[in-house]
Amino acid sequence: MAVVNTLYDVGARDEQEDKTGFAHLFEHLMFGGSVNIPSYDAPLQNAGGESNAFTSNDITNYYNVLPAQNIETALWLESDRMLSLAFSPKSLEVQRSVVIEEFKQRYLNQPYGDDWLLLRPLAYLKHPYKWATIGKSLQHIEEVQLDDVKAFFQKHYNPANAILCISGNFEFEYIKQLVEHWYGNIPGGIKPARILPQEPKQTEFRKAVYERDVPADAFYYAFKMGERKSEEYYIADMLSDELGKEKSSVLYLKLKKELQLVTDINAYILGSLDQGLFIISGKMMNGKSMDELDSALWEVLNDFQLNPITAQELKRLKLKIRTSREFQEQGLLNRTMNLAYYELLGDANGINEEHEIYNAIEVEHLQELSKQLFVKENCSLLQIKATQSHE
Amino acid sequence: MNRIEAPRLKEIDTINFIEPRKVLVGNIAPFYSIENQGSEAARIELFFKAGTIIDRPVLASLCSGLLLAGTSKESATDIHNNIDDLGGFFDINLSQEHTVVSVYALNDQIIPLLTIVMDAMHNASFPEAEIEEQIADKKQRLRVSYEKVNFLCQRDFQKRLFEGTNYAKVTEIEDYETVTRAEIIDFFNSNYRNGLLKATLVGRLQEKQLIEIEQLLEPWAGKEVTNNTPIFKQQKGNYHIEKTATVQTGIRIGRIMFDRKHEDYHGFVIMNTIFGDYFGSRLMKNIREDKGYTYGIGSALAEMKDNGYFIIGTEVGAEVAAATLKEIQFEMTQMKEQLVDKEELELVRNYLLGQALKSADGPFAMMDLFLGVEMHGLDYSFYNEALKKLKQITADEIQSLANKYLVWEEMLVITAGQQLID
Repeated sequence: MAVVNTLYDVGARDEQEDKTGFAHLFEHLMFGGSVNIPSYDAPLQNAGGESNAFTSNDITNYYNVLPAQNIETALWLESDRMLSLAFSPKSLEVQRSVVIEEFKQRYLNQPYGDDWLLLRPLAYLKHPYKWATIGKSLQHIEEVQLDDVKAFFQKHYNPANAILCISGNFEFEYIKQLVEHWYGNIPGGIKPARILPQEPKQTEFRKAVYERDVPADAFYYAFKMGERKSEEYYIADMLSDELGKEKSSVLYLKLKKELQLVTDINAYILGSLDQGLFIISGKMMNGKSMDELDSALWEVLNDFQLNPITAQELKRLKLKIRTSREFQEQGLLNRTMNLAYYELLGDANGINEEHEIYNAIEVEHLQELSKQLFVKENCSLLQIKATQSHE
Repeated sequence: MNRIEAPRLKEIDTINFIEPRKVLVGNIAPFYSIENQGSEAARIELFFKAGTIIDRPVLASLCSGLLLAGTSKESATDIHNNIDDLGGFFDINLSQEHTVVSVYALNDQIIPLLTIVMDAMHNASFPEAEIEEQIADKKQRLRVSYEKVNFLCQRDFQKRLFEGTNYAKVTEIEDYETVTRAEIIDFFNSNYRNGLLKATLVGRLQEKQLIEIEQLLEPWAGKEVTNNTPIFKQQKGNYHIEKTATVQTGIRIGRIMFDRKHEDYHGFVIMNTIFGDYFGSRLMKNIREDKGYTYGIGSALAEMKDNGYFIIGTEVGAEVAAATLKEIQFEMTQMKEQLVDKEELELVRNYLLGQALKSADGPFAMMDLFLGVEMHGLDYSFYNEALKKLKQITADEIQSLANKYLVWEEMLVITAGQQLID
């Protein structure tokens, strides 16, 4: 097998505030035929392959998985849509509906489905992370015009803004020749400058409460944390494991096992390229109030700041990270996507160096960071109040 | 340069199957292992007969959640601490026919991890407090699921398609009110002790370590119950579950089929791929890529022990649910009345060849491929048969399979959401 992965350095953060959800809709349009080839998927399927893509707030990533001997088919297709799209009005019309159904399926027609649509604008006031990749509203997607699509392509979809990563059992020279053949005459373009509104430092506790027709109260505490490239990211990653990943984690033991306030509690981070969020979220046990949870949670966090974890706990956190990474590296597709992402971070080889960064983390780092993160002025709290009642 | 014409295609390789090492644990339960070369990642999976069909599903569900919930000497937390000290992970998956306990760790931690898990299970004491907590959690999760049209139609589909058999049984909130600790313990003793039907390992271990694993598993080994497959009656008709204030409607359509031993199996899989089982399928092309009614639609041949069923699933805009049903019916008629053209058939042939290659990529995928035949008492020659069929099948044969099986009037049709608008 072989994988051809193309990462474009464009995501929802690059959208205009009155045209959100666009980067993701555009991803759908990339499958609507290119300048010389009417269908993207059919020739690839005919070569025994398949393709998909995803969009985040930061990036748009396309991948093709196919038998190695037909790799040229993927390069032919992928390079042609980098050269230019077909810009078919029918494709825009259909994909607009498809994305609207995706919006409904994932965010509107699910219990707690709109939580991130509510949390983002609470945690971010200025930075475009204040809207979700899917967009702020259905209306933005309904209003997209073909001219918007063309302008977006011109600006963001050129070699200067892309990272191509190919894997499979090949000679490097062979792949290099193929890439030069298919991509060599595409104008390089200019990497668009990224000047995003800066998020001012949060100085006040924020809270929003919404009522929803759901069976249980839910809560989301979002703390501002460092960007993906900062050292803080790695410490926060480990801190979130310690606080709320497993059934031996601090929050699980105190808030669920001991106090029985919640049915479910997790801590995790968003690995966003700009300033990220450290999230503590969960659902309430019926009959327990979110006020009770709130005081208990802050107490746990304060305790944690005062009492460092043991060397044994640190050791196991590191071992767990090593195990997870070993499993994440299984499969060609994962490895290819990861390499492209690390190249975006600055150097594909970074993937080999992270192990050392995690290993160098000490107990004090975790404690220091927890003191910095877990203060009220750094927190945005979203509460979903259930309107259904159960005994 | 020529960008219009596609690069010439080359013939796709055949698959190199890896036969797992096999030993019988306690002379009964097979233990299969495949080496994971060049990686430190190891996984062990244990298949117990404790699925939902063997008794009341609520017992299978609660029991599976309580396997690592404490012994007379150690609390649930102690056990999880021990697992975490090894950097290990576990998950427990409940299905109709099995409960699968999986553990994940680096090679040199996998045996200590398995030892902890087997010890916790062997001495499981099912503490009252843990049972209560499980019940509260599961009731809440079920209530959340009740809010999803997807869940509502899937569950109703299951209840109706398998009517009169254990496969139709589902858990409702009330079931949690009546269940007792004694029943859970009974369930554990009957379906876990001497209930290990098979085990797998993907990892890189020494021969003597494999023997160590066999010894750990031996006390659990049991034999599969034979002749427990019920006879399913074809169910048909349209049923709607009303759920107000929903913006999408869930749809499930299907019928009872057969398993991998049936003579039409390979042909049906190819026919179904064209109909609804890949991104370029008829259903996707029409209902997503032409009409924009949905984010996704697909059909599949789902497999059970000695049986199987056909299922179409999607969630569509509430206002186009009725129109979607008509389009699905239309696509079935197309499959029955028109021959698949040469190009489409050739494309699906190549696509499936590529998929076959992909499904054999890496040791974890290889183990799944192996289990896919092992569960039906077959071997890898099954896949060679599939590849042979792929090369030989004709448009006529596909049409006659569609006429035999894609009969709208024989389908069970379940919708969940707002009232359907014609």
